[in-house]
Amino acid sequence: MTGMRAGVFLFAIPGLAFVFAWHIAVGAKVIPLRTVVEALVAYDETLFDHVVIRDLRVPRALIGAAAGAGLAVAGALMQGVTRNPLADPGLLGLLAGASFLVVLGSFAGLSAPSAIPALAAVGALGAAALVWGIASAVPGGATPMTLVLAGAAVTAFLAALTAIMLLLDETSFDSLRVWLTGTLAGTRGATEIWAVAWLALGLTVALSASRQVTALAMGDDAATGLGVNVQKLRLAILLSVVALTASAVALVGPMGFVGLVVPHIVRLTVGHDYRLIVPGAALGGAIFMLLADIAARMLLAPVEISTGLITALVGAPFFVWLVRARL
Amino acid sequence: MTEKVWQRLDGALTFSLPLCALGMLIALSALLFGVTLIALMSGSFPMSAGDALRSMAGHPPSDMAATVVWEFRLPRALAAAMAGALLAGSGAVLQTVTRNALADPSLVGVSQGAGLAVVTLLVLYPGTPTALRPVLAFFGALAVAALIQTIAARRSNGATMRFILTGIGVAAFLGAVTQAMLTYGDLNRAMSALAWLAGSIHAVNWGDVQILAITFVLIVPALIWAARPLEALRMGSEIATGLGAAVTRDRALLITLSVALAASAVAIVGPLGFVGLIAPHLARRLARSGPGVHLALSLVTGAVLVSAADLIGRTVFAPVQLPAGLVTAVIGAPVFAWLLLTRRGS
Repeated sequence: MTGMRAGVFLFAIPGLAFVFAWHIAVGAKVIPLRTVVEALVAYDETLFDHVVIRDLRVPRALIGAAAGAGLAVAGALMQGVTRNPLADPGLLGLLAGASFLVVLGSFAGLSAPSAIPALAAVGALGAAALVWGIASAVPGGATPMTLVLAGAAVTAFLAALTAIMLLLDETSFDSLRVWLTGTLAGTRGATEIWAVAWLALGLTVALSASRQVTALAMGDDAATGLGVNVQKLRLAILLSVVALTASAVALVGPMGFVGLVVPHIVRLTVGHDYRLIVPGAALGGAIFMLLADIAARMLLAPVEISTGLITALVGAPFFVWLVRARL
Repeated sequence: MTEKVWQRLDGALTFSLPLCALGMLIALSALLFGVTLIALMSGSFPMSAGDALRSMAGHPPSDMAATVVWEFRLPRALAAAMAGALLAGSGAVLQTVTRNALADPSLVGVSQGAGLAVVTLLVLYPGTPTALRPVLAFFGALAVAALIQTIAARRSNGATMRFILTGIGVAAFLGAVTQAMLTYGDLNRAMSALAWLAGSIHAVNWGDVQILAITFVLIVPALIWAARPLEALRMGSEIATGLGAAVTRDRALLITLSVALAASAVAIVGPLGFVGLIAPHLARRLARSGPGVHLALSLVTGAVLVSAADLIGRTVFAPVQLPAGLVTAVIGAPVFAWLLLTRRGS
């Protein structure tokens, strides 16, 4: 059974490769897929199309795939560990916390490439703690509903503060303003290297803990019975979620709903074993993000809309459906 | 003593007057006047209270003072007060009808529905007169209210939270469509829509005040009518039916009223968040009263809140003007969390 489910990856990996190439082909100038493949295998710097692909489109596709993978894995882990179908870095306030602290950092002059993912991580952790604290103190405890409501309150508060900071210093924040809507456009230079380091850290922890997450998803008692140190595992997963969220925010800004939608779809195809769900979510997240970015550039062409809008347009109805079907 | 009760004919005719609530109503009105006066005095051209009052009365100390008060500060102060009152009324009605302490027009997507309708109009047909905005906003908001009701109302357990969660999802979706509309739209038009979307009272003129005033006059009789069904519905639909209320009809009418209140405010000042959430709770804490008086108290509280939020927004970081919507969100989000914490189990 597991073998058959693992077979899904035989389709997912070529699928990602195809979407990746398609993503590169789409843009202000449509480049034939053939040229895309040629530029990737046999790069020729005298050809203009090859330079465009190498310098602009491939970085964009890589950033999108990395951020999508990070957000989807973070969402899958959160859903598994908290046994909450509505868990998502965006809905539970982590994205708002991360972007708030990044903007606050820029406000205070802290915008070094290495500082941005670190600030995002601290912000995500703080927001997660705040949301968890509020939801646990609610009469009835931290249920999926109270967590999302607490997340909405924290998000509204931090988003308003972020908007105020942006208004106070209009000139230097133009790039941040675009980044805050969740976009793959624009380069952030050396930030990307640091963000990828955080992503690698988060993915490593996620993959090595995936077996135990499966046990934890069945309940605390079941996990303890299977020899899992629940407290230690929770801490490791929190670290992983925060690192993944921070890297995604540093790369593409607060991109909502990716961490909600992808894990649910992945679970439908590979079942409930997190050794398959974690890599599946990474692949699925990358594919989802690239498709969203393709839509963002094609939907109202030649105007390009923020990729975060596409993920919200897909994710919000999905969220409403989940509330209706699963709660 | 919190109320005065008159009895005639051995109690066959009883009339009670909630003195405490009335006192609070007068105190709040005085506070509203005070905030408005400060709003007239402060800004890049400061003036004394006496000068502001003299300008209002038609004896300005200088032409400049007359222009500043009459052309800029007075319409803005009036619009803030009226929009706040409308939003608060919308929240108060919505909270009672849905028996949901967390209901707020901006939280459940009703304001965003109105917002999307107006932005669509601004971007696609920029020439449309402002007076049409409230009508369009109303239909946009009404469509969203109907949608959330159908999606959320099916199951009974946890209905309170489900309603809000569905609203949050719908609001996120509408927000994304609105943003896409802005990106698509011509930049200048999009910019004016953007300022409006942040909940800014910065750009109002006398025409806007006129529209708000007209809606206000039209809606007040509806609010007076609403007090009675609200009284019955706040006991729950079973008891209300037992009391002889036409529950289904009243509920639909009251939700439409709530939507109309929110839409007419949103059409002029944009989706100001959390006012409809905070004001009714504050009013309830200030004085115990029946739904009619509570509605009146909520209206004045909302007016004070938005007037103060607009005043804070334009003075604290002057010359930068913060939209009132950001100020209300900074105050309102913690209040929302606090309401969540003190909620009795659903």
